[in-house]
Amino acid sequence: MIEQSRGPPLPAPPYHARMAAATPARSPAATHSYTEADIASVRLMVGLEVHVELATRTKMFSRSPNVAHKEFDGAEPNTLIDPVVLGLPGALPVMNKAAVEMSMMVGMALGCSIAPFTRWDRKSYYYPDLPKNYQISQYQLPLCFDGSVEMPVPAGGGGGGASAPDLPRRIGIIRAHLEEDAGKLLHEAPGVMGGGGGGRPIDFSLVDLNRAGTPLLEIVTQPDFSSADDVVLFAQHLRNICRFLGATEGVMQKGHMRFEPNINTIITLSDGRLAKTPIIEIKNLNSFKALRGAIEFELADQPRRWLADGREMGAGTKFTRGWDDQAMRTMIQREKEDAHDYRYFPEPDLLPVTVDDTWREEVRARIPELPSSRLARYRHDFNLGHKEAAALVDERDVCFFYERCVAEAQALGVDYPRAGKQAANMVLQSGAKRANERAVLASELGITPAQIAAIIKLREDDTLTSTSADELFGLLCEPGQSGIDAAQLATTRGMMTVRDEGALEKWVDQAIAENAKVADDVRSGKVAAAGRLVGVVMKLSGGTADAKVVREKVLAKLGQPIR
Amino acid sequence: MPDALPPDAVRKVARLSRLALAEEQVARYGEQLSAVLGYVERLRELDLEGVEPMSNPLDETNRLDADTPGGTIPGATFMRMAPEALPPFLKVPKVLGDGGA
Repeated sequence: MIEQSRGPPLPAPPYHARMAAATPARSPAATHSYTEADIASVRLMVGLEVHVELATRTKMFSRSPNVAHKEFDGAEPNTLIDPVVLGLPGALPVMNKAAVEMSMMVGMALGCSIAPFTRWDRKSYYYPDLPKNYQISQYQLPLCFDGSVEMPVPAGGGGGGASAPDLPRRIGIIRAHLEEDAGKLLHEAPGVMGGGGGGRPIDFSLVDLNRAGTPLLEIVTQPDFSSADDVVLFAQHLRNICRFLGATEGVMQKGHMRFEPNINTIITLSDGRLAKTPIIEIKNLNSFKALRGAIEFELADQPRRWLADGREMGAGTKFTRGWDDQAMRTMIQREKEDAHDYRYFPEPDLLPVTVDDTWREEVRARIPELPSSRLARYRHDFNLGHKEAAALVDERDVCFFYERCVAEAQALGVDYPRAGKQAANMVLQSGAKRANERAVLASELGITPAQIAAIIKLREDDTLTSTSADELFGLLCEPGQSGIDAAQLATTRGMMTVRDEGALEKWVDQAIAENAKVADDVRSGKVAAAGRLVGVVMKLSGGTADAKVVREKVLAKLGQPIR
Repeated sequence: MPDALPPDAVRKVARLSRLALAEEQVARYGEQLSAVLGYVERLRELDLEGVEPMSNPLDETNRLDADTPGGTIPGATFMRMAPEALPPFLKVPKVLGDGGA
C-alpha cells in the first residue's frame, strides 16, 4: 500500500530511467581483478540538461518584474517581489503568456513538437530560496518534446576553408519544459554589506528572492554526445539560438544559462568485456569552461573509480557531484536527504494550457532566421570560410549589425555577394580589431552601417586603398562621427586613391632616384625587390596611391615584364 | 482498518515535510495515514479503464496574462515581515549543500 501511495515514478529524467532499467544493478564491491593495463579503450557518453532563464519582462506566474530581463538587471535585492513570488497565503499564480510563447519558439527552433495539451505540476521540497516550499514545474506533460538539432561542425574539425563543406551533427532533444526559478542564497558576506569587503565568511545564510519565479526553460538532450568538445559546441549553439530568438539575455556570469551534464563511460576491456560506469550528474555549471572541465575530469576519473570500486551502471547507482572551479575537479556533494522524493502532483492553482494549430503557427511565424541557417547562407552566398561565417553569427548584435551593413551597401549599388564579402572583411578585420582593443562588440564602436557601406562602395569603385579604408573606419569610430559622410571625410583627409598620372610618375621617379641600388637589383631581374620601391611610393603618397598600379609602373620603368 | 503505515515510512514523510514527530506521534500518525490511504484505495473498486486523468476540475484552459509589469512589495516592507533580516537580505540559519531545483 505504501508503494501505491507514492504516485507517479520519481522524477528521474528519461535518460537515467532508461539506462537504469536497461542494466540490472551490480554489486558495488570490486568484484573484478582488472588493472589499468586491461583497459583497451574508453568511450564517453553524455546527455545534457540546460536551464535557460527567459528574458520576459515579468515573472512566470505573477507580474513582478523579472531580474533576467535587462530592464530590471541589477535591481536591489528583494525588490522584485509580490505576494505570488513570496507564496503569501491566498496568492494565486497566473501564467505569463510571453513565457509560454518564448518556450514554444525555442522548442520549435530545436525541432520539437509542441504539446496540444500541457499542464503544471508541483514539486515539493523545503529550502530557504523557495518561499512556497514547492516549485511549479512540468513533469508529465512538457510543452515541447521529441526534437533534434543539427550543429554546424566545420569539416576537418578546424578552420575549414571556403570550399570545405560543414558537416552537421545531430543531437536529439527529449523535452523542453517550463518551470520557475528559485531565489538566491548567499553563504558569504556580499559586497554591499559595510561598503565592499565581500567574501568574508558568515555563520548564517542570506536570501535574495529577486530571482524567485523567473521563468526557466529546462531543455533535456538525448545522451548523444561522445566528446566534451561536442557538448560545449552544442551549449554555445543553443545559447546562440536562444539569443537570436530573444528568449534569453544569455549572460553566463549572471547565471542566465546553467548546465547539468549526465556523464558515464563505456570501458572496453582487453578480454572483450564491456563495463559501463555509473551515471554522474554534475550540478549547476555556469560557464563553458566548467562544463568542459567537468566532462573531461569525469572521462579520466570514472575508469579509475571503476578500477577501484567495481561499481557499474544500474538501478540506484546514479550519483550527483559538484564542480570545484579552482581545483578543476568534480567532487561528491552532500546530498539532501531523499532529494529525489519530490512528491509531484498536478498543480491545482493553474489551468492547463492548450495550443491549437493557429496559435502554434502564429508563434512559429515569429521565429527569425536562425544562426545556423545564416551561417550556411553566408558561406554559400558570400563565399566565406566556416571560421569567418561562424564569427559573424557568434553574437546576435554583431550579426544584425553586419546584415545592416550588407543591406546598406546593396542600397548604394554594390552587388549582393560583394556586399556580403566586403562587409564581412570590414566587421571581422577593422571592426573586430578595434572592438578587442576597447572590449566592446564590433557593433558598438560608434561607426554606423551606412558609413561602413560607404567605405565598401569606395573600395568597390577602387577609389580607396585597403589601408585607407581601415584608417577611415578608425576615424569614423571616434566620438561624434556618426553623422559624418564617409566619402566626404575621405576626400577632405586626402585619402582617396590618387589617379593623377603626373603625381604618380613623380613619386615613382623619386623612389627610383633615392634607391638606386634597389632599382638596379630590379633591373637585373630581382623582381621581388620592386616591393621595396612600391613601399616608398606608398609612403610618399601618404597611402593614397593604388599599390597595384604603382607596382606596374615601377616594373615598366625598370624594364621588367609585369607578372 | 488496514495495517498502520510502518514507523520508518512515517518518519520519512515527516522528514520530507520538515516536521519533528515525537515517538508516540509516529505510531498514531501511522494509523491515521493508513486510514487516509485506505480511503483513497477504494478508488480501485471502480473501473477506470479509458477515463482521462483530470488535470483540473474546471473546464477552462489558457488563463494567461500579458507580460506587463505590475505592483511589487517594497523591500523595506518585506524586511519587516521577515522573522530575521540583514537588509536588503533575509537572514536564515546557515545552509549547507545545494538547492533542489
